[in-house]
Amino acid sequence: MTENVSDLVLDGNAAGGLLQEIFVPEITSAQIECEACGSTAAVGTLHLYAAAMGAVLRCSHCDGILMRAVHTAHGRWLEMKGARYLRF
Amino acid sequence: MTVIETAATAAAPVRRLAWQLARVREIVTETYRVKSLMLDVTSWQGHLPGQHVDIRLTAEDGYQAQRSYSIASPPEDDLLALTVERVENGEVSRYLVDDLRAGDQFELRGPIGGYFVWTVATRGPLWLIAGGSGIAPLMAMLRHRARRKLRAPALLLYSSRSLEDVIYREELDMMARGDPHLRVVHALTRKQPQRWMGHWGRIDKALLPQAGFPPSQNARIYVCGSTPFVEDVSRFLVELGHDPLAVKTERFGPSGE
Amino acid sequence: MHETPISRGFRSRRQEQTPKDRVPPGQYVTTDFPVLSAGPTPQIKVENWNFALQLGASLLGKWNWAEFEALPQTTIKTDIHCVTKWSKLDTTWQGVTFDDLLKAVGMAEPPAGYIMAHCDGGYTTNVPVADLIGGKGMIATRYEGLPIAPAHGGPARLLVPHLYFWKSAKWIRRIRFMERDQRGFWESLGYHNYGDPWKEQRYDGD
Repeated sequence: MTENVSDLVLDGNAAGGLLQEIFVPEITSAQIECEACGSTAAVGTLHLYAAAMGAVLRCSHCDGILMRAVHTAHGRWLEMKGARYLRF
Repeated sequence: MTVIETAATAAAPVRRLAWQLARVREIVTETYRVKSLMLDVTSWQGHLPGQHVDIRLTAEDGYQAQRSYSIASPPEDDLLALTVERVENGEVSRYLVDDLRAGDQFELRGPIGGYFVWTVATRGPLWLIAGGSGIAPLMAMLRHRARRKLRAPALLLYSSRSLEDVIYREELDMMARGDPHLRVVHALTRKQPQRWMGHWGRIDKALLPQAGFPPSQNARIYVCGSTPFVEDVSRFLVELGHDPLAVKTERFGPSGE
Repeated sequence: MHETPISRGFRSRRQEQTPKDRVPPGQYVTTDFPVLSAGPTPQIKVENWNFALQLGASLLGKWNWAEFEALPQTTIKTDIHCVTKWSKLDTTWQGVTFDDLLKAVGMAEPPAGYIMAHCDGGYTTNVPVADLIGGKGMIATRYEGLPIAPAHGGPARLLVPHLYFWKSAKWIRRIRFMERDQRGFWESLGYHNYGDPWKEQRYDGD
């Protein structure tokens, strides 16, 4: 039984496949600004959670959720209310 | 086969990612628990060093498992190489390392990722720091650099548990011997042979300035390994004065460093 | 139509010999216990923990850890099913049933038709009250006789095993009754609002 979840926390690079189904330009190198703390980072550096269900990408400074994405049998969902902008 | 035109490629639009068929041409044993799979991918469009692929295995009962693996081969090679470490209780890695044979097939999509990418078009010294199987994407970068005969300085700091665990050992030795601008420093964390001349123990804050480029040289730094490895090393680098924006990281799942 | 290629010799490590009536469609039995979280594991000290039942602005009940442990305890053995396709059979949990929580706040009937579970770290999930009463739901504090590990939702998680396991919210702190249903974390991002594994209700639209 895996006790230590933090060892399993990957980054936005690992969500690249899922996200690239949605975005036209390359997404992991895009800059994203956190609504909660104002920090800016490349999407590839965000902390990725719940990869088996989709992607929950969190700010590496404040842990706020910046992006959530799910690929379902009925379509793809993307929610980004935690981000001020994405810059490609 | 791909030709790298410009440094701006990383920001270029991506072709739609679709699942393709990958056929295993050859399997290379790297260590007692690591193998490289040499793949023929039907409509492969090329890739940049550092990118990865997602692979998907389907069992006869319909069960599917998906994983990501970095591409270890340079864009100059015809076959795509994925280097896989057998992870304890890893259902996919155990299949790929123990059961897979030449002629077998699975689905693959990619290349993915534009953040953790380096090509010879990028200026500045290249500093690669690998933990265990994190060497894979960095090897694509080094192989690309060798194919292109780039003369700019490069350094690989590579942490492994023991000498038996060092992946691509002979190839790295040969690369370093043949290239005065490339240095390879090995750190062995658990078991060192007698008269070991490399670093003993983990890559620590003392080794980094000792072996590495000083911040003033503005090296492009790529760190890849398990999450704790990547977090420790990138923290040390920033504490030592390296520009955080010059340090790129990629975290792998469980790995042996 | 593109046919998915089979990878010769690849078999899930999930067991083949399982009674069909125990495993919902599309699920595979596992003997390990995968961890899936939407965020970092909160490090919660039981001395600081409390749990509340809310209706609108009113607090119906609140318990600290000692008080919660003093409530009637129930142990159940059940199967759990994750939407990511793993199922784990015969898992044992101990905690306080939803029925006993209602009794503890002096309610013979639940005050509303739906609840939203609120958790440390911000996770939420919605469940109809009908799926919690009659022993169908509990706030669990022990797994296999031991305190639930933080990665698995300890010190306390919601347990609603007849629905997909994303409904069994980890690190639960508050249950808020709602007159009208509202969608929680995964339900508002493409996952099914109800989540019955036997009807394979994984996604919105299934």
